Amino acid sequence: MHKNGPKGYPWLFFYAGRSWVAGLIVTLIVIVSAGVFYVWYSPFSNDASPDSLAGYTYAIVGTLCLILAAILYSWRRRSRNKRIPGRLNAALNWHIFLAIIGLALLLMHSFGNLNPRTGTYALYGMIALTVSGFVGRMLDRLMPRLIANEVDKALTMQGKDRIEDISQEIQAIVIHSTEKLQGFSAAPSRTSTSFVSLPGSTSNGIPFDSSRSLHTPWDLAYISLEETPQELNREAAQYRFIPDKKSALARPEALMPGAEEQMSELKKVQRAMQREKFYRYIIRYWRVVHISLALLTVALTIWHLVYAAQLLIPTFIH
Amino acid sequence: MLKPTPVLLHKTGPQVAQELYACIGCNECLLACPALAEPITIDVLNRETVSSTISAPVARFAYACYQCGACVAPCPVGLHRDAMMMWLKVRLLRTGSESGSA
Repeated sequence: MHKNGPKGYPWLFFYAGRSWVAGLIVTLIVIVSAGVFYVWYSPFSNDASPDSLAGYTYAIVGTLCLILAAILYSWRRRSRNKRIPGRLNAALNWHIFLAIIGLALLLMHSFGNLNPRTGTYALYGMIALTVSGFVGRMLDRLMPRLIANEVDKALTMQGKDRIEDISQEIQAIVIHSTEKLQGFSAAPSRTSTSFVSLPGSTSNGIPFDSSRSLHTPWDLAYISLEETPQELNREAAQYRFIPDKKSALARPEALMPGAEEQMSELKKVQRAMQREKFYRYIIRYWRVVHISLALLTVALTIWHLVYAAQLLIPTFIH
Repeated sequence: MLKPTPVLLHKTGPQVAQELYACIGCNECLLACPALAEPITIDVLNRETVSSTISAPVARFAYACYQCGACVAPCPVGLHRDAMMMWLKVRLLRTGSESGSA
């Protein structure tokens, strides 16, 4: 099916496009510059606090980065202008890198003040949001591979539905066994040596063939208390339809040899399809969690801004 | 954003072939895809989804695709590109197991 070219579906796959490299470079430059300034500023300044000039700068730039991270990607997804294949992937890369820059700057904005106040809650919200993004990227890598493994079980090598395949197998077994059962009950045994009937009587509704003769003389004296051949060969194929209650043959599937394996295969495929659906739910609902966390973070940030404004506005007025 | 009962993702080979045959090549699915990092054309993707050879860019696209389903909604003829991508992934997976066992 596949002659040459790439093979397999590797778990560890990495491809750095132009936008990814550009995003990484910008992120490193911004974070390293801000970090160097933080290290230089913190020990020598008397005002190393969130409401210092440096703190405000970190806060404004960090918040702008997070707003851009949220808006640019959403806007690009919905935009109908200048659409080129691959541009949305670039927007997604920038979404990730802007979120990292934003979080790093807002951590610096806190200057280590993690008192139980509004700003700290907003910061925790941003950390949770960014972490959920990373978890989501890992799930995006993991889930399709798990789904592909399950789909591999649900399809035949020719790409057909395995359930349909197994159903046909079971149907064939049922037809075969039913024919065998009918043959067993309806057809008189040719090897029977004790065929006994009275002239003019019927057996199983079939008119008695008077041309047949009794092969074996029958007399009560021939009745033995020893086990009959049928009792000895109870496990033999032709007697599988009259098993003991304790025998393994008493199970319903024993009536259809081969059906048990097919039913087991069917259950495996059904479980694979259930898992496929479950992984699909994870992919879908992780996005709901991420968006919910984003909305929560926005609410916490607004709360923090209102709280900070109440403290700062009187200071600026006086 | 949410559908109450998501359908199963995979389709059989004949169903995938049928969908590929119905594709009008408008490119809407690729424009809506956040995983596509390289400029791949829809005809190349359609051809390699069922052909014997899978090129490196198409394989990279299959590896990067995370089945978000963003490609399904914009399709004007209601095709399931995510299922076609899954078919491609299963093909790649099987070639990997074949070469591993060989």
